[in-house]
Amino acid sequence: MKSARILLAAAIAATSLSALAYDADWKRGRVYYRSVCTSCHVANPVGSINPSAKTMGDWATYMKADKHAKGKEKVSQYISKTYRDKIKSANKAAEKFADVPDQELSDDIAAFLKKGAKDGDSPASCS
Amino acid sequence: MGYPIIALLAALALGASVPAVSQVPSEAPKPVKLNTTADHTKFKELQRVFASGPEVTKVCLTCHTEAAGQIHRTKHWKWEFLNPGSNQKLGKKNVLNNFCISIPSNYPFCTSCHVGYGWKDANFDFSSEESVDCLVCHDTTGNYKKPPGLAGNPPVKDMELPPGSGKIVKGIDLSRIAQKVGKTSRDTCGACHFFGGGGDGVKHGDMDSSLAAPTKELDVHMDAEGLDFTCGTCHKASSHDVAGSRYTPTAKDTKGAHLRGSTENRNPATCVNCHGKAPHEKAKQSERLNLHANKVACQTCHIPEIARGGVATKTSWDWSTAGKKGPDGKPMLVKDAKGRVIYDSKKGDFTLGENVKPEYAWFNGEVTYTLLGDKVDKSEGVTRINKLGGSAEDGKSMIWPLKVFRGSQPYDPDNKTLVTPHTAGNDDTAYWKNFGWEKAIESGMKVSGAPFSGKVDFIKTEMSWPITHMVAPKEKALGCTECHSKDGRLAGISGVYLPGRDGIPLMDTLGWSAALLTLLGVFGHGALRIFVARRK
Amino acid sequence: MAERIYIFKRFERFWHWSQAALIIFLMLTGFEIHGSYSNFGFEKAVDFHTIAAWSLVTLWVFAIFWHLTTGEWKQYIPTTEKVVAMTRYYLSGIFENAPHPFRQTQLRKHNPLQRLAYLGVLLFISPLLWVTGWLYLFYGSWPVWGLDGLSLQWVATGHALGAYLMLLFLIAHLYLTTAGHTPTSHIRAMLTGWEEVD
Repeated sequence: MKSARILLAAAIAATSLSALAYDADWKRGRVYYRSVCTSCHVANPVGSINPSAKTMGDWATYMKADKHAKGKEKVSQYISKTYRDKIKSANKAAEKFADVPDQELSDDIAAFLKKGAKDGDSPASCS
Repeated sequence: MGYPIIALLAALALGASVPAVSQVPSEAPKPVKLNTTADHTKFKELQRVFASGPEVTKVCLTCHTEAAGQIHRTKHWKWEFLNPGSNQKLGKKNVLNNFCISIPSNYPFCTSCHVGYGWKDANFDFSSEESVDCLVCHDTTGNYKKPPGLAGNPPVKDMELPPGSGKIVKGIDLSRIAQKVGKTSRDTCGACHFFGGGGDGVKHGDMDSSLAAPTKELDVHMDAEGLDFTCGTCHKASSHDVAGSRYTPTAKDTKGAHLRGSTENRNPATCVNCHGKAPHEKAKQSERLNLHANKVACQTCHIPEIARGGVATKTSWDWSTAGKKGPDGKPMLVKDAKGRVIYDSKKGDFTLGENVKPEYAWFNGEVTYTLLGDKVDKSEGVTRINKLGGSAEDGKSMIWPLKVFRGSQPYDPDNKTLVTPHTAGNDDTAYWKNFGWEKAIESGMKVSGAPFSGKVDFIKTEMSWPITHMVAPKEKALGCTECHSKDGRLAGISGVYLPGRDGIPLMDTLGWSAALLTLLGVFGHGALRIFVARRK
Repeated sequence: MAERIYIFKRFERFWHWSQAALIIFLMLTGFEIHGSYSNFGFEKAVDFHTIAAWSLVTLWVFAIFWHLTTGEWKQYIPTTEKVVAMTRYYLSGIFENAPHPFRQTQLRKHNPLQRLAYLGVLLFISPLLWVTGWLYLFYGSWPVWGLDGLSLQWVATGHALGAYLMLLFLIAHLYLTTAGHTPTSHIRAMLTGWEEVD
């Protein structure tokens, strides 16, 4: 009974935590971008996309629009826990970040893209 | 309060696996940062505009009172090191190399990698605490920068650099960077160490920007998706002094794994420190491999190639061809098919390589430098700027992988010394501005306080860089035949019998000849028997 | 019609042929380790060579036991009797269809030259190979055994010398198998145990 209360309290704490402003980790975003986004883009005909190929504004719009493959899919789908779960046996980054909440990981990637954008603080390539 | 019911159900569902706790906390633990005990964004002192690096440092020192003093004792600050073995006065301030050659007279450019602010000439105040640069190592944003030419200062507002070039360097937000300080990382160490020699991967070959977030293939320890070691995981700092040395390296760690609590004063950045002296536990042939570890440095087999991350490393540099101008009469750059610069009017000809196989030599950790005043002799062929000691017999040496960097650089043929040219700068004597060796060397040697005859010639030089980073996964370690074969990787290593490579040629000749003669003999004998039998 | 006698017992034949196979295999792998040619690759060659060496050791333990318990070791006691006659036979008699100067019996299955040759293998080539081979294999234990002063180069050279001598023996031995009562009688004897004698 008592322990159940703790569980419940923890659950409430978890929700309240995610409500706080999350301090995005661009380095985690960098690893996910390279190991999941780029590695798949390289294999698929689209080719890799350097963060520095777009401006900060472009990337912000892109993340907000949440469109992948010309709108047929969602970007967020590829960041989601479900997707990470699916590919984690073959992708070490997905495995490593398997338990990161979707929104946090999405923020991490956005932070990396903002930083690495053409007009960002340190324009980055994808490799 | 309807939730106790739900909670009860949840508890039932979870069964007895939930441990009982005697005290019910009145509220949930508040969310905290787990990677630090101090969230610097909350410090009022940092919530302001900073107009310079030293202003930030002054604030840091109000709490971290001893930090600057600790930095003052280190090589990172002094750029000077007295080798206790050879008594040579080394350190970046004093040594020469065959890349950009030397630091005096080029301070404002070279000191962009000094862990301080404002070292623009020989009069820099090494006792100044506020000149210590905390941010260059503790930045976590990845946005801090110290462009060459500013004597280690960061640009706080947009500025044209170099002046008159039309290139704008963006100013950085010191306040945000100061509020986000944290532990050192591959990115912070790499900001200088990846770019040694004047560019990405130029100098070391086993360190370049690909190690900022490497794959397992590139570095099994720093693997960003796996073990994710930082530099400091091995180069464990103590009182801001970072372990590991290029001047007095540990070539052979005889002490085995370093256990917690051990008070031995030893270099923690060796492989043996963690892996021990018999590291091949589960491998096939583990005993034989462990025997190899008595004579062969781990790096030799476990770093099959350097510059594996897609960044080329320079393999040679010929200063003697510098100064050629393009058809338009202006300094030029020549690039190879991959877009890498192979000729620069300012610097001469280069060769570069990716996936470079190291060279190998016995190395006992003793490094002797050819310093500015030391006599050099062109007739000797190649002057070794750093000589690595070692032999098969001294009992202290291991076979090490090296990046051997070959070049040709200016020297004084009358005084028979190497020289310290003034290369970088916006003034009349700087070589990269006026392309005159005599003037550049004269002004450089003046700052170095060394005599210069006025004559300039070029001398072939060589430097050896022991290789230790970019450790590959074990499946990629070298196979036996890489060395156990004629003309293998260790073809030039003497003093050790290598099965598959060595033998006594005379015995082999005699052995095979005898076998051949015996064979001819029995064939002859047999043929004669058949011949005689037929005739009868 | 030639008479047939039972010369080589079952164990003896098993010993001979497995030993032959192992020695040939040891030569193949050994000369690869020595750098004379490549086939298996150095790593596998070392593995195989080591396994074959231990197999041969095991075989020898049994063979020695067998020789001692059956008294067959006496077959290798050297003799000078008929050595000259045998030499003369190989040099000239064999071409003239002269009678073989030596008559095999179960108690004397090797001719005097064979006895000398096998004894040479037994007393010189084999010990050289075994001693150097063991030292080579246990290179890492030299300090423990107080053999620090030993040079791997000389151990390896001795081992290779043994291998060359063994190769010479093998060539001559293979040829001389055809020098029996008929060209195939020795070989048949080693396969079936039965030798034709005059």
